Amino acid sequence: MTARRSSQSTAARIAGSIIALGLLAGCATPPPESDPEALAEWEQVNDPLEPMNREIFAFNEFLDTYAIRPAAEGYRNVVPQFGRDRLHDALENLKSPLVFANDLLQGETDRAVQTFFRAAFNTTFGLLGFVDIATEAGIPAHEEDFGQTLAVWGIEEGPYLVLPLFGPSNPRDAFGTAVEWYGDPVDLVLLNMGYDWATWTRSGISGLDKRERLIDTLDDIKRTSLDYYASLRSLYRQHRTAEIANGRNQTRLSTTSTSGASSR
Amino acid sequence: MISRRPFLLAALGGVSLLVSPLRLAAAEAPPADPAVAFINRLADTAMQTMVGKGVPDQERASRFRTLFTTDVDLVEIGRRVLGRYWRTASPEQQQDFLRLFEDIVVLTWSTRFKDYGGDLRHAVVGFVDDGDRGLTVTSRVERDHQQPIMLQWRLKRTEGGFRVVDLIVEGSSMAVTYQSEYASVIRANGDRIDGLLNALRSKVADLQSGAAAPRN
Repeated sequence: MTARRSSQSTAARIAGSIIALGLLAGCATPPPESDPEALAEWEQVNDPLEPMNREIFAFNEFLDTYAIRPAAEGYRNVVPQFGRDRLHDALENLKSPLVFANDLLQGETDRAVQTFFRAAFNTTFGLLGFVDIATEAGIPAHEEDFGQTLAVWGIEEGPYLVLPLFGPSNPRDAFGTAVEWYGDPVDLVLLNMGYDWATWTRSGISGLDKRERLIDTLDDIKRTSLDYYASLRSLYRQHRTAEIANGRNQTRLSTTSTSGASSR
Repeated sequence: MISRRPFLLAALGGVSLLVSPLRLAAAEAPPADPAVAFINRLADTAMQTMVGKGVPDQERASRFRTLFTTDVDLVEIGRRVLGRYWRTASPEQQQDFLRLFEDIVVLTWSTRFKDYGGDLRHAVVGFVDDGDRGLTVTSRVERDHQQPIMLQWRLKRTEGGFRVVDLIVEGSSMAVTYQSEYASVIRANGDRIDGLLNALRSKVADLQSGAAAPRN
């Protein structure tokens, strides 16, 4: 996963090690070196803090079962699909400055231009972002966050980490989340204008929106998996890798009609 | 919200059909790649089975089983999922595992989109031929009110055509996810494969009783 990234920042490595060392308290014992296959698997799973993570995961599950998921269900029942779609589009539009900044920091000029024009169209013709007309016009949305930017800069993810409330993460992505929490341009403007409540309202609705959209997916994974924790860990880490690669690491697309499969 | 572009394309298509049927016939001439045709057929059948209204769950599951046993190489996937434990498992354990794994996969996927009310539209967007290492067909599933889902189907060549050896959903490989989860279950049971087999048995029973019970 990391072989491609040549520019490995030493500072980041050291920081990662310090964080890892600090967390080493609630830590699982690695398999002995006499069992190389087990050791390889242990390294691949990348979860030395599993006992601690499982505790936090159980806490999150408790919170989710009794508060967050019911709230998301309530939101789904009270607000019709049309309203939820409009709110979602508006929230996505508010994220544009952040996505734009991350596009630039990653050197993704094409995507930065896309983000810019999406925001311009949606904020004006899209009625303050409540209608995502840019997607219909052929400029699809994409996600970027500071954790991904750090990854593009060559910073390792570090050990798998379950954060209270926020769920699956790692030191790098957790740091990215914190930076965005304090550095979101829209929030900073609102705070400067004295509308503290608006930033909290926005965070609350974002959380509801996110959880509501995941109700069916998470229910299904929970229902069908033997080890919900291990399934989510694997899904999160794979999905994150794909997100960071912006689809580039996956198959290069070739048109369906041309050559290729004629080799046999 | 209905996208206008497909409508426009359809309208244009309709017009050109009226104007020059000959040219359209010529445009269809380059045959779709067999791998793409295979995935289109498989996905269409799967979607119809999944979204099909008023189909009893047992019927749904049995249709899926047919689909999985013909077009999906569950034995190869199962071996990969069990990973390093496959070699240490006894032949009976291997057979038990493959049977239970098939049950889990069928029960999981046959109900996955059952309660989904809207349309699922599947379209192949590309493919890559890796020669001896197989092929990857990339497709997307569009849903109402949701971001489209990107899928990658890993295929291998067989005598009669193709078989699916992995499905990658939004960057997450199903085989890798199962492998990681099952290894975790085996480790939690003191590295015993029987621990996994027992967990699989009770999960299959759960899913079957859940499927049999009327849903609200």
